[in-house]
Amino acid sequence: MVEFTLWDILRNLLLAARWTVVLSLIAFAGGGAVGLVLLVLRLTGNRVADAAIGAYVQLFQGTPLLMQLFLLYFGIALFGVETSPWMAACVALILYASAYLTEIWRGCVAAVPRGQWEASASLALGFGQQLAHVVLPQALRIAVPPTVGFLVQVVKGTALASVIGFVELTKAGGMIANVTYEPLLVYGCVALIYFALCFPISLYAGSLERKLHVGRR
Amino acid sequence: MLSKRSVIVALGLAALAIPFGGAHAQTALDDVLKAKTVRIGVPTDYPPYGFVGPDLKPMGLDIDVAGLIGTRLGVKVELVPVVSANRIPYLQTRKVDLIVSTLGRNEERAKIIDFSHAYAPFYQGVFALKTTEIKTFADLAGKTVAVARGAMEDEMLAQVAPPTTIVKRFEDQAATTAAFASGQTQVIATSVSNIGVLSQKNPGLGVEYKLLLRDSPCFVGIAKGEDALRGKVNAIILAAKADGTLEKLSQKWLKRGAGDLPL
Repeated sequence: MVEFTLWDILRNLLLAARWTVVLSLIAFAGGGAVGLVLLVLRLTGNRVADAAIGAYVQLFQGTPLLMQLFLLYFGIALFGVETSPWMAACVALILYASAYLTEIWRGCVAAVPRGQWEASASLALGFGQQLAHVVLPQALRIAVPPTVGFLVQVVKGTALASVIGFVELTKAGGMIANVTYEPLLVYGCVALIYFALCFPISLYAGSLERKLHVGRR
Repeated sequence: MLSKRSVIVALGLAALAIPFGGAHAQTALDDVLKAKTVRIGVPTDYPPYGFVGPDLKPMGLDIDVAGLIGTRLGVKVELVPVVSANRIPYLQTRKVDLIVSTLGRNEERAKIIDFSHAYAPFYQGVFALKTTEIKTFADLAGKTVAVARGAMEDEMLAQVAPPTTIVKRFEDQAATTAAFASGQTQVIATSVSNIGVLSQKNPGLGVEYKLLLRDSPCFVGIAKGEDALRGKVNAIILAAKADGTLEKLSQKWLKRGAGDLPL
């Protein structure tokens, strides 16, 4: 049988962690961009758009990410459409993250007092100007903690991509644990690496919060 | 609205593709020969059948058999790591051409995929610590049993264990073994060889064999109706059996003979 040194375990986990990072970045960037577009569409007050986006949010919040990945990768392929793990993982993570982010941000915008919209309207600002100069800057402050909380969830959620063949951090940990038979050591290392990825995000959020709230102190 | 549009595009593509679905049938062998590559689903969390070395490259009995099939087909092998829960979807959606993944044959599976001749022995059993009293399946009542979701032993256990058995299903063999080794469950249902490695690595644990679930040899899984590819794989397995290759692989990885493998 093969022998793993501690360095072998760590080295392989760190290499696998690259996938975790890449998948997280895709979910952050893609989910953020799509989520923002959906948010703006929803704020325009168009009823059809509002209902459609509401249904979209319910659909992706109400189904497990694991199933979304599975259906996108294997489900669509059953109809004979070529799906690659990359495409499925990107689409699933972006849909998933955008549904959550748009809902989180909608709440943050709703938390900006109604008077701010009315006051800016009375100054003859258009919808875009109201959003860009008055409402969104205020909503941003409220949005930092829940957004970061969700992003940290996404980092850990990328582990589910192993079901469609990505050997990311958790999957690599499982593979190594089963050949070394030292699950405690291996999963301990996995947990530490996740922490090392997530903790800086939380730290950065803390500093961002302090910066954004500078006018209020 | 990017997402909406992509959904529409995807649905449209799906609708277009349905009529061509039939064109897939009976082309697997030609596709493999044309691409000069055979994609084979193998386990990476199930020693000694399929596990990883320090470079995270798969190795084991199943990987050697996959290599053997590739060599004798005269094509390159692309190994795709699969687990019990997703290996059949991989095959059904033609994301792999074959699965060599300690796959047992049963009626439910035979309805959706085809099987080759058996290539290796595989025994599944129920294991527990020496201190745990288990003489018959009835003794499993009220005990917690770890099993990998979607694996053969999951199904077998459901048939023979009393209804009060608490079955804990885990995503893969790695998690299943870890759960038992760390004392989260009292009992584990898995392959004899997996436990062999476990007790070798943890001599202090005191695991012993309790009950035989089933002697269910491994077959190569092939997409339904791909008779040309199945014939080819069967010929390769028969030849490997005749020239002693299968026996040698069994000795190398399982430390025992291949025994009498069913066709």
